Amino acid sequence: MWMGCIACAAIILGVLALVLWYLISIGRQSVNLAFFAQDPQPYGADGYPGGMRNALVGTAILVGLASAVGVPVGILGGVYLSEYRTRAWLTETVRFTADVLAGVPSIVVGILGYELLVVPLGHFNGWAGALALAFIMIPIVTRTTEEMLHLIPGSYREASIALGATKARTIVRVVLPAATGGLITGVMLALARVAGETAPLLFTALGSRLLTFDPRYPFPSLTKQIYDYATGPYAEQKQQAWAGILILIVLIFSFNLLVRLFTRPRQFRA
Amino acid sequence: MSSTAAPASSKGVASESPHHSSFRTARHRRAYRSDKILEVVATGSATALLLLLGALVAVLVYAAVPSFRTFGLAFLVHSEWRPNELERFKRDAQGQIVKDQDGEPVTETIPPAFGALPVIYGTAVSSAISLTFAVPFSLGCALFLVRIAPRSTAKPVSFLIEFLVAIPSIAYGIWGLYILAPFLQQHVEPPLNAVFVSVPGLHWLGSDATTGRDLFCGSLVLAIMVIPIITAVSRDVLRAVPRAQIEGTTALGATWWQTSREMLRYSRSGLFGAIMLGLARAAGETMAVAMVIGNVNQVRPSPFAAAQTMSSLLANEFAEASSDLHRAALLEVALVLLVMSLLFNVVARWLVVGGGQASGAGGH
Repeated sequence: MWMGCIACAAIILGVLALVLWYLISIGRQSVNLAFFAQDPQPYGADGYPGGMRNALVGTAILVGLASAVGVPVGILGGVYLSEYRTRAWLTETVRFTADVLAGVPSIVVGILGYELLVVPLGHFNGWAGALALAFIMIPIVTRTTEEMLHLIPGSYREASIALGATKARTIVRVVLPAATGGLITGVMLALARVAGETAPLLFTALGSRLLTFDPRYPFPSLTKQIYDYATGPYAEQKQQAWAGILILIVLIFSFNLLVRLFTRPRQFRA
Repeated sequence: MSSTAAPASSKGVASESPHHSSFRTARHRRAYRSDKILEVVATGSATALLLLLGALVAVLVYAAVPSFRTFGLAFLVHSEWRPNELERFKRDAQGQIVKDQDGEPVTETIPPAFGALPVIYGTAVSSAISLTFAVPFSLGCALFLVRIAPRSTAKPVSFLIEFLVAIPSIAYGIWGLYILAPFLQQHVEPPLNAVFVSVPGLHWLGSDATTGRDLFCGSLVLAIMVIPIITAVSRDVLRAVPRAQIEGTTALGATWWQTSREMLRYSRSGLFGAIMLGLARAAGETMAVAMVIGNVNQVRPSPFAAAQTMSSLLANEFAEASSDLHRAALLEVALVLLVMSLLFNVVARWLVVGGGQASGAGGH
């Protein structure tokens, strides 16, 4: 029977290898300098198919905007859950809500973004996409921040207060800096998750084939462009979709590796 | 005489303003003001989470109201999903075509009809089949990681399996669409379909066409996506089985497998929670499913028939909804999806965290 368990693990790893093998080997063929340097060209135009520069820049901007909103709110929420907890009912409810929100299907978040941010403006826009991504980020960052802050020994806080610092100063100057590694871990995990999301962007940012820096209008993103290319009729664009997937996976893999490096077990001297 | 006022409250030590002489300087007042500001901002951020969930539910309910009013509860059991109007010849009670004075047939217009049964069926069946495939492999792998693997092997294997979680779903979608679906279409589905059709009792499992992009393919892709989640949580749950339990079982003469079965039985609520977490992910998964499930709103018993799940329906039709009623119907489907996933997540969390001891995150 134990051989069956080994077989299970081997089969799962085999499936993983199968998936990665195809993604890497097919994607590798289309990744070249043009992919990073050029914008998409329509079929029949000079320089077709071009590259995916607009999508790479678009995802970077969307994730950046989402972090600008999501990271502060998430970290402050985590600080509340860990340091303040003034009302027990609020703390428990917020913690529960954060866990529940982390499991909401991302397409429902996209629909919320559509109803609240696209309909009033009258057209799809990048801000709606960025805020939908922030919606996904906030619960993740909140919970990981709380967990990381719990790891800081209470003696740090006691020592700071004994030296006369106010609570705010303790949190900002002592606790948060001590937890920086863990906080960065949480933020990077959230970034990696959000960079790979497609569904929230489907009807908020919609996507675009142009290189644009204006989030008030439809905005390109790597995942949406991959989806469009992969389900479209043009063979060269399908090749580019594979290349885009490879780049996305390399990005996410590096994020995860960096996270592992940051979470080397640390010994806090209490 | 100055005394420090200390009202009985659960606030931290330094956040109350002491009423002694040194508080009179502006610098001290500023310091305690920043205290208050940070507290307000942090509490506000935490409350923001509640607002997010509230906004989600409120907006979906509000926007789905036209669909509630038109279809009522029957929405959940009707199987026709037709966003367009239908024009057909008007027929009288005997089934004869009604003709007007000039002898021309009279046409009538049937308004659009929306029913969520096909997508509820698609979500339920694809999730069920994916779990049927995923759970045995996941539990086997979890047992491997906890019982068999030496520390040096368990770590990299766990890392690789967690990497499977991080792969974006669109990658699984592309792989499923261009690698798995053609493979199933050429090598797996025709022989299976032939078997179903020929065996008398299984006739209803067969399908006229096997395109490879169907409920079966969708379920397989979902299974691959769900296995790492169930494995990771099951591994943690199994690791938490007390040493005394394992040693006691072995001391009573149990074989390796009997002991493992005992471990599984001991932690069954946590394992069930792990399975529910996988179920929650499977039911809410959009992109991978939208690419391989065939995208046809129909209820067919055969796994080789194209289908549609709630999330793939939304992904396909929402951006191009043709009327307000269409959009309201889609929003009602989104509401059903949200309620279902909230339910799964709540139950899963209660099972994994609550089953056994006090919730781990509650204590400082």
